[in-house]
Amino acid sequence: MSYKVKLNIFEGPFDLLVYLIENAEMSIYDIRVSEITAQYIRHIELMKEQDVMVGAEFLVLAATLIELKSKMLLPRIKVDGEIEEDPRAELAQRLIEYTRFKKRAAALEEQLGYAMTKFAKPKEDLTPYTGEADEYLRMDMGEFIEAFKAFIYKKQKSEELKAMHHRVERERMSVAAKKKTIRQLFRKAKNRFISFRDLLLPDSDRYDKVITFVSLLEMIKAGLAGARQSGNFKEIEVEVKRNGHDDEKNNQISV
Amino acid sequence: MTTKKTIKSAFESMMFVWGEPLDVKIAADAMGVAKPEALEYFKELQMEYDEQERGIRIREINGKFQFVTDESNFDYIRSVCTPVRERRLTQAALEVLAIVAYKQPVTKSEIDSIRGVKSDRVLDGLTRKGLVEERGRSAAIGRPVLYGTTEIFLTNFDLKTIKDLPAIEDIEDAIQFEEEKTVVEIRQTSLNLEQ
Repeated sequence: MSYKVKLNIFEGPFDLLVYLIENAEMSIYDIRVSEITAQYIRHIELMKEQDVMVGAEFLVLAATLIELKSKMLLPRIKVDGEIEEDPRAELAQRLIEYTRFKKRAAALEEQLGYAMTKFAKPKEDLTPYTGEADEYLRMDMGEFIEAFKAFIYKKQKSEELKAMHHRVERERMSVAAKKKTIRQLFRKAKNRFISFRDLLLPDSDRYDKVITFVSLLEMIKAGLAGARQSGNFKEIEVEVKRNGHDDEKNNQISV
Repeated sequence: MTTKKTIKSAFESMMFVWGEPLDVKIAADAMGVAKPEALEYFKELQMEYDEQERGIRIREINGKFQFVTDESNFDYIRSVCTPVRERRLTQAALEVLAIVAYKQPVTKSEIDSIRGVKSDRVLDGLTRKGLVEERGRSAAIGRPVLYGTTEIFLTNFDLKTIKDLPAIEDIEDAIQFEEEKTVVEIRQTSLNLEQ
């Protein structure tokens, strides 16, 4: 059984104001502004005392009411004898609009109550007849257990593999290690220039290409290598330097 | 051979299996008859069930037809079934739904302005329940989203079309009357001032 608590909380500032006006038996078109404003503000204070969150919109309406109260004190006849519109008219219009929809909400609720006295059935599941039926396997208990074991084994293997995979990720080659391999390659090099491609791993991926490039740049900066390229997107030729200080003049990077 | 009788019989069976409101077009296509003809048969079926005061009736929702139980049997159904989950809505949800239903298509800011309070969350809730949906965008500045009610709304509230929303004209009349009276009063006060 569900347990519900219904509190007399107002849905918004208009809800509260309409309640106060109705309670005071006033006409919406002839609000006694001073009286209602006092009541309205008292109610907001009460809400604050009860620790009810008072939304900003409640305060906006309070401000509107106070403004209205001051306007009501001023004469409404202009110099040329024309009568200005009742300052309460706009508020009255909005309250009427609000009450109109409040009544409609009540009417809808009643309609919903009526609709709930009728029952309909959910749609039937016709998949067994549409050719897309579930697949049924004929197997005895032993086979089923074997199949389940195989499934669990596969699952475990893939979990292990995943764990391994993570470790490999973390142990990927660092710039320092890459520099070391490049130096080793330099030592074995027969020509003065070798292709950048020769520095890459046989199954080089993006990570390897980037780390190789960064390592090479660091080595060039330290004077441990040189590089040249005859044009955009052309082969990068790496100049082999076996130690840090030979041929310092030729250490040029052409882009 | 398809006679009127067999077609109507087929429609009954289809409605039974379909459960939800069955589109006349789908039913008509299945039987190879024209839509107006199918519609006529559905209406005939509906009338037959009503005339015979059956425990199951046919209701029309948005040009679709559905079997439902007769509302006068509600208490008996309730006594044999486990309590059905109530589809009650909160007061705020009903207010927003009323504004959307009677004023559609309507923007969020129009709803906020009528209620004097932000309605975003309530509107989201109603959208999630499938009662309210987006209906394109308004041509106004910022091209705000327009909202309208759905077929689920019509079904849940047992409304044939959106025109069948409960009317509240009597209330408007009362307001109008009050309005006239007040105008007179205001004139009188201003006359007094002039004197």
